Amino acid sequence: MTQQQDRTAALVLEKASVAYGHVPVLEELHGTVRSGEAVALIGPNGAGKSTLIKAVLGLVPTVRGRIEVLGVTPAQARRDVAYVPQADTLDPDFPVSVEQVVMMGRYRKIGWLRRPSATDRTLAAEALERVGLSDRAKNRFGTLSGGQRQRVLLARAIAAQPRLLLLDEPFNGVDAVSQHALLEAIALLKQQGAAVVVSTHDLAIAHLACDEVCLLNRHQFGFGPTDAILTPERLRATYGGHALELRGDRVIVTQT
Amino acid sequence: MSLFEPFHLPFMARALVELVILGVLAGTVGVLVLLRRLAFVSDTLTHTVFPGVVIGYLMAGQDGVFWGALAAGVLTAVLLTVLAHRRRVSEDAALAMVLTSLFAVGVVLVSRRTAFTSDLTQFLFGRILTVTQEQLVQTAVVTVLVAGLLAVLRRQLMLRTFDPEGAAASGIRVGLLDLVMNVAVALVVVAAVQAVGTILVIALLIVPAAAARALSDRLVLIVPLACLIGALGGWLGLAASYEASVYHGLRLASGGTVVLVLVVLYGVATLAGAVRRRVGLGRARLSTPELEMTR
Repeated sequence: MTQQQDRTAALVLEKASVAYGHVPVLEELHGTVRSGEAVALIGPNGAGKSTLIKAVLGLVPTVRGRIEVLGVTPAQARRDVAYVPQADTLDPDFPVSVEQVVMMGRYRKIGWLRRPSATDRTLAAEALERVGLSDRAKNRFGTLSGGQRQRVLLARAIAAQPRLLLLDEPFNGVDAVSQHALLEAIALLKQQGAAVVVSTHDLAIAHLACDEVCLLNRHQFGFGPTDAILTPERLRATYGGHALELRGDRVIVTQT
Repeated sequence: MSLFEPFHLPFMARALVELVILGVLAGTVGVLVLLRRLAFVSDTLTHTVFPGVVIGYLMAGQDGVFWGALAAGVLTAVLLTVLAHRRRVSEDAALAMVLTSLFAVGVVLVSRRTAFTSDLTQFLFGRILTVTQEQLVQTAVVTVLVAGLLAVLRRQLMLRTFDPEGAAASGIRVGLLDLVMNVAVALVVVAAVQAVGTILVIALLIVPAAAARALSDRLVLIVPLACLIGALGGWLGLAASYEASVYHGLRLASGGTVVLVLVVLYGVATLAGAVRRRVGLGRARLSTPELEMTR
């Protein structure tokens, strides 16, 4: 690895094992995500995809090996990392408007007491524009559809101007229009140099949006270029028999 | 019914001031309790503050009540925060047992006194009409402290309430924030205990906030509305109980009347909210038909 490549590594996993208390969840993860690249985390439910994202945020401890984010520890890097939760985990009755949710992305940079500046407002408005929801700024967050809510949460992350973006199952139950809007916004972030980590069940999306894939089920079943990693053999290994082969080269996962 | 005349009497005026301050305090904290769905925490506090009140009273008389309540309240707040973060609050059978035991300790201690019934009534339902100048000052100080704290922490609290994982991801120390929040609820219970008792304070926390939530979808309006409704309930409730007791020979307990008035206000707010939403929906349907589809 040359010095140049080393400098642009946004996320480095070095034989990292992650555990909740004494229960190991993920073991021996190894790989690098560089700036401007997107990696898809793929694996069945309970494989540890969300746990890996939390470990990258420094919310779950790395018990062995090392996770390095933007050259420092996960906790030190939080300022430049944005996290997009699944929209349906949030209370739809919460009295907050779409633009307020997007502004939350600026909180850390504004500080907890000062009022948002003109720059903050512009950045929030631009972020909402990028996901195509400017006309819904004044609406209550909970009145939007699931896909639109997911786009608002992505806008919140964009407003934070992250160097590393983490998305937890952003395409679950999302309509086609919203899926397209999410993919476009993610592609633009990549172009601007952000690294993206996205967990998903959808292999087609991994092909579309991601340069690399990390196959996960407690252990790592492959980490590398999408085409090289998404092979029937590896998928069958990852999903443990819940994957069927179609016409030799395509794989259908029957149980996620 | 006269809304002003009763308050020419000094003890009624003090009661009114106390309830207005409490209304503002409980209204503000109540909104957070409602949004965080912390009604359970508040309920727990009313059970554990009771023995604190009794022990404080037995040790130092009326002056001991505040400090006994404060000690019990803060202790409970710390305990609840730790339990919640170890994900053990779900073991509610054990928790319910601890709560009732503590409550029973209070009852047993009170029962050793000769004026058992009157003491018990005072601790459970409060004595709003005998509020002293000193209590008013205590309540005011607690209110200023809590309101200041919540104002400083408002963004963290909002983010944590809306999206706990996102809050943790952006570096907020959620555990610490939850402790602050639980202590704030404890302080409301402590401040209200002498005036309305440990049982009725729940209503003061929950009802105005729920009424305000029914009226508005905007947090900047919900908080002042909850304060207003809390204070209004105190005023109307006091006036009603005075009117009934003095002019109609019907003795209505002030604390209970205040709560009933609050519930009526909640009913009105819910109705008004339903009408507002229906009107809003109609308007939305007229201007943008696709709005309905996205619901």
